[in-house]
Amino acid sequence: MDHDPATAPEPGQLPAPDAVTPLGSPSGSATPGPQGIQSRRRFLAWLGGFTVFSTVAMITTPILGFLVPPRTSGTSGGGKVLVATTADIPPGAGKVVALGSKPAIVVSTEQGLHAFSAICTHLGCVVAWNDLAGVIQCPCHDGRFNPVSGTVVSGPPPAPLPALKVSVEGDQIFLSEA
Amino acid sequence: MAAGGTTDRAVGSGSWIEQRTGVGPVMAALLHVRIPMSARTMYFGGIALFLFGIQVVTGTLLALYYKPTPEAAYESVQFVTSDVSFGWLIRSMHHWAANLMILFVALHLLRVFFQAAYKYPRELTWVIGGGLLLVTLGFGFTGYLLPWDQRAYWATVVGTDIAGSVPVVGDSLLQLLRGGADVTGDTMSRFFGIHVLVLPLALAGLMAIHLVLVHQLGLANPKKPEPRVRPAAVDREPLRPFFPNYLLDEVVAWYVILAILVVLASVFPAGLEGQANPLETPAHIKPEWYYLAVYQLLKIIPRTIAVMAPIIGIGLLIAWPFLDRNPEVLARRRKLAVAGATLVVVGVIVLTVWGYVS
Repeated sequence: MDHDPATAPEPGQLPAPDAVTPLGSPSGSATPGPQGIQSRRRFLAWLGGFTVFSTVAMITTPILGFLVPPRTSGTSGGGKVLVATTADIPPGAGKVVALGSKPAIVVSTEQGLHAFSAICTHLGCVVAWNDLAGVIQCPCHDGRFNPVSGTVVSGPPPAPLPALKVSVEGDQIFLSEA
Repeated sequence: MAAGGTTDRAVGSGSWIEQRTGVGPVMAALLHVRIPMSARTMYFGGIALFLFGIQVVTGTLLALYYKPTPEAAYESVQFVTSDVSFGWLIRSMHHWAANLMILFVALHLLRVFFQAAYKYPRELTWVIGGGLLLVTLGFGFTGYLLPWDQRAYWATVVGTDIAGSVPVVGDSLLQLLRGGADVTGDTMSRFFGIHVLVLPLALAGLMAIHLVLVHQLGLANPKKPEPRVRPAAVDREPLRPFFPNYLLDEVVAWYVILAILVVLASVFPAGLEGQANPLETPAHIKPEWYYLAVYQLLKIIPRTIAVMAPIIGIGLLIAWPFLDRNPEVLARRRKLAVAGATLVVVGVIVLTVWGYVS
C-alpha cells in the first residue's frame, strides 16, 4: 500500500491527506498522520501571519511616533520672562510683547502695570492698546477690554482677557503665567 | 484552464480586486518566472533595492523636520535627534543605510563582474547599473552637506574643489555644484533639491529600467554563456521558481539587513560635530570612507592625474561589456579579467585603508 510506486508521494512532497501510514510500518518512517500534517500547516500559517503582523507593527510604530509633533517649550513653562523695561511703557501707554511664542499686552495704568494675554477671546486676533480711548482694543471687530481687569467693555468678545502676572525688578518688567 | 484573465472571462469569476483591475495576468507575468538553479546572486542587488526603500522612507520622514538653510539646518537636525520621538532611530538608520547602500551596490557590481553576468545579452543592464552607481554616490555626496556641521561643510569644500580640478570643465563644474564660487546657503539649497528631488527620480527611473531588463532577460547562468541563437533542443538547465522560492530567500536577506541596520543605528548613532564655521578649517578633515581612496590618491600622485584616473576608470567600467571580447563566463577561462579586477579591488582597498589610518 505505502510502497506502491503509483501512489507513493514524489520526493519532497507531503503524502496525500488520505494516505494512512501506520506507525511502525515496515519502512520505519515516522511520517505523521493526516492530523499531524494539518496541525503543522495551521501552526506554520499562524506563525507566518504573526510574522507579517509584527513586522507591520514594528515598521509603523516608529513612523507614526515620529510624525506626531513633539511638545516644544513654546511658552515659558512657568518661569518668568523679561519682556520690556519701564522706559518702554511710560504711564498711560501699553505694548504688545512676546511671551515665548505667544503675544501678551502690558499696560501702564494709574493702578500700576497690568498684563494680559493679547489673544482676543472673540476670534483670536492680537489686540492693541488704544491710548486715546484708554482701552485694550481688538482691530478685527472692535472688541474692547478694561486695562485693569481685562473684562469686556464693549463688542463681541465673550470672555475677559486672561490675566498674567507682572513683576518689576529695577527697571525690568517680567511676565509669567498667572 | 486559467480562472480569470481569459478572453471569455465569465461574469463574476475571480476575486473582487481582479474583477475591478484585471491585474492578474500582469502579476502572473511578473512573478511566475523561473531562474537557473545555478544562479548565485547572493541577493546583493535586492539588498541595494531594499536599502533604497529604507532611504526613501527615512529620508521623507527627516524632510518633514529638516530646515534647509545654513541658519536653521544644524538646529533642526539636533531637534530631530533629541526631541522628536524615534528621531534618533530614523536619522541614524538613514545614515547607516546610506553607507550600507554604497557598500552593497559595490558588492553587487563585483558579483556581476566576477560571474561575467554583464556579458551578452545583459550589456545594457550593466550600463544602467553604472548609472545607478553614480546616482548612489551622488546621493552620498549631496546628503552629506545637509546637517551643516564642520565635517559636512569642509568635506563639501574639499569635494567640490576636487571637481574643480577636472581639466577644461573644472571651473564651470565647481560653480555649477556650489551655486557660486563658495560653499554657501546657495550650495545647500542646490544640494537639498538634488538630493530630495532630482536624484530620487533619477534612481527610480534607472531602477525601473534595470529591473525590467533583469526580469525580461532572467538571471544569468554563471556556468555557461547565454547562447546567441535559441537552441532547437530544450535547454536542460534545471530551474526554480522566482515566486515564492527565490523571493522568500530575498525577503529573509532583507530581514537580516534590517536587523543589522537597527543594531548599527542603536550602537553607533549618527554623530554631529560643531556647527559649520567657514572661517575655521578643522584639523585632519577626511571624506567619508567611500571617497577615501580618491582622497589618498590625490596625496600621492599629481592632482590632475589623480582626478582623471577615477573618472576614466568609471568610464571604462561602464563600457566594459563592449570592451571585453571574451565570450567565456567561467573564471578559469577569463583569467585576465579576473586578475585585473582583483588587482583593482585590492588597490582600492589598500588606498582606502591607507587614507583611513594616515
